[in-house]
Amino acid sequence: MSTLDLIGIGKSYGATEVLRSIDISLASGEFLVLLGASGCGKSTLLNVIAGLLSPTTGEIRIDGKRVNEVHPKDRDVAMVFQSYALYPNLSVRRNIGFGLEMRGVPRARRDEAVARVARMLQIDGLLDRKPAELSGGQRQRVAIGRALVREPKIFLFDEPLSNLDAKLRMEMRAEIKHLHRLLATTVVYVTHDQIEAMTLATRIAVMNNGAIEQIGSPEDIYRRPATVFVASFVGAPPMNLIEATWDGRGLHLDGSGQTLALPAPDAAPRPVTLGVRPEDLRLADPADELAIAATVDFAELTGPDRIVFSRLAGVPILASLPPHSHVTADEQVRLTFSKRDMHLFDRGSGKRIDIPLRPVA
Amino acid sequence: MNGTLTPLRAWLLMLPLLVIMLSVIGWPFVDTLRLSFTDARLVGTGGEYVGLENYRRLFASDAFWRAFRITTVFAVVSVLLEMVLGVLVALLLFQDFRGRNILRALLILPWALPTVVNALLWRLIYNPEYGALNALLLQSGLMEEYRSWLGDPGSALAALIVADAWKNFPLVALISLAALHAVPQAIRAAAIVDGANAFARFRYVILPYLAGPLMVAMVLRTIEAFKVFDIIWVMTRGGPANSTRTLSILVYQEAFSFQRAGSGASLALIITLAVTLLAVAYVAMIRRAAGGKF
Ligand SMILES: Nc1ncnc2c1ncn2[C@@H]1O[C@H](COP(=O)(O)OP(=O)(O)O)[C@@H](O)[C@H]1O
Ligand SMILES: [Mg+2]
Repeated sequence: MSTLDLIGIGKSYGATEVLRSIDISLASGEFLVLLGASGCGKSTLLNVIAGLLSPTTGEIRIDGKRVNEVHPKDRDVAMVFQSYALYPNLSVRRNIGFGLEMRGVPRARRDEAVARVARMLQIDGLLDRKPAELSGGQRQRVAIGRALVREPKIFLFDEPLSNLDAKLRMEMRAEIKHLHRLLATTVVYVTHDQIEAMTLATRIAVMNNGAIEQIGSPEDIYRRPATVFVASFVGAPPMNLIEATWDGRGLHLDGSGQTLALPAPDAAPRPVTLGVRPEDLRLADPADELAIAATVDFAELTGPDRIVFSRLAGVPILASLPPHSHVTADEQVRLTFSKRDMHLFDRGSGKRIDIPLRPVA
Repeated sequence: MNGTLTPLRAWLLMLPLLVIMLSVIGWPFVDTLRLSFTDARLVGTGGEYVGLENYRRLFASDAFWRAFRITTVFAVVSVLLEMVLGVLVALLLFQDFRGRNILRALLILPWALPTVVNALLWRLIYNPEYGALNALLLQSGLMEEYRSWLGDPGSALAALIVADAWKNFPLVALISLAALHAVPQAIRAAAIVDGANAFARFRYVILPYLAGPLMVAMVLRTIEAFKVFDIIWVMTRGGPANSTRTLSILVYQEAFSFQRAGSGASLALIITLAVTLLAVAYVAMIRRAAGGKF
């Protein structure tokens, strides 16, 4: 149970900036997910926290104490890797107990701790096997066991489930969530999988190009994305983004001649991006004013939803409609949404614009 | 044609190679075998059939057993030295530092030198009057007077072993370096976070990836070292007082210096048998280490 503070963390390789002034403050027991595309610097940040890399700038504090100069083994963090990183010629028992063995914990106490963790992860039958004799899911359990057994201040996970198949991934996700609830240890968890992020995190930090775009609760990230990047990165199918010009008369959708009755507070026209999630769109009644007209390309039934692929002035618009909705190709549909569910972003900065919910007089 | 190799087709494809092997190795082998049962001289008569007499005399001679011992010491010590030196240098050159790539390129030099050049070079280093080793040891105060490293039966073999290990450690180093690059980064990181010290990291992280390639290097090097001839011939010719006379040198002396072709042939066959046994033992070891998948 520990707090973690990252203050102005930067990491450069020569002229290449891999991390740019990262600020994160974690309370004890939080589950932070670092979410971002491959190559955005997630692993680098995790390695900086672990002490495997030194940051170029900034400070790392665990429980309020600066640990920049502290060796990884003395930071009391445990790490789980995507590739499991098990010691190939040691048994499962010794793999799990390795951290304790290296710290000089006597054999008897070590075996006891290993047995307890192995029971918790249901791998107590595998203790005498070598890693090569395990399936991927079992290996990942061993890797998690190796971290658990040390009872560290902070758990660091680097895409631990990425090598597992979909079903196993879901099981392990649930298990990790369960373990976190049980142990309440502070966790930093790296993934590029937004479902993992949404389901596991108490807070998500969305990273892009070495910087944090937004940090907040899963709800925040999903319902109030702070930037166009976050809006487009989180959600599947992704949020519809439509370029528009906003002025005192309303929101003019570029290239389509359609205007939404949503006048801007300022009269001067402003280039913006309108964002609406596919699941927030529905077929409009004639009475609905806030609607966009699009031409249907085709529709796909996914089971619970019918995903309608349409176009507005060349821009693809996806709508996730109830399965019984009836649309045909080349048909013009009017899609409406509630003002609450729309997002506006400044097209220059990409930043979110808060929309006044009541029409401005 | 269904793309599978029937035994017949496999043999047919191997045939040209087999023919060449049989003609360049098989026939001389058979002829050597025949010679070893005769008292043939190098020049002159074909010799009389003497049965196992050559073998009996060899096994009864002190010269043979001494050469056998010297060969074994040479092979074991030089290969061990190469292994240790090679792995240490590989570990060094694996570190990230300025100039690493130049050093890596230079590493190949001793190995690339012809054995004769390396041997002459070390003869210079060991030279009793103006050799670098004497100068170094004397000037650093480790020694009172110049020594004749190759002239002294007490030090000649050791001097040879050092020269041979120097020539051959780069092979081990290069193989180890390649193996080091195969160690997954994540396992290294895991061991650091787990608190493993340098020794434990070598033992549990690096060695598992190094063992296989090292084993292969060891096989190749031991077999080579057991057959050693050229470096010794250039540096000491088996002397002084036969203190560096290995089996190969003994064969040469028997067959060419003393012109006893029959007896030389029997000795050569014994070396061949010993090396073959070594190779078989090694292959069995590697097989077992690889879990029978080799
Ligand atoms: N040693 C290095 N030298 C130069 N660039 C590096 C080095 N290590 C990582 N990078 C770069 O840093 C970026 C972030 O890498 P990483 O943290 O592994 O990304 P992620 O884990 O988000 O996929 C990548 O673009 C990568 O190319
Ligand atoms: Mg990564």
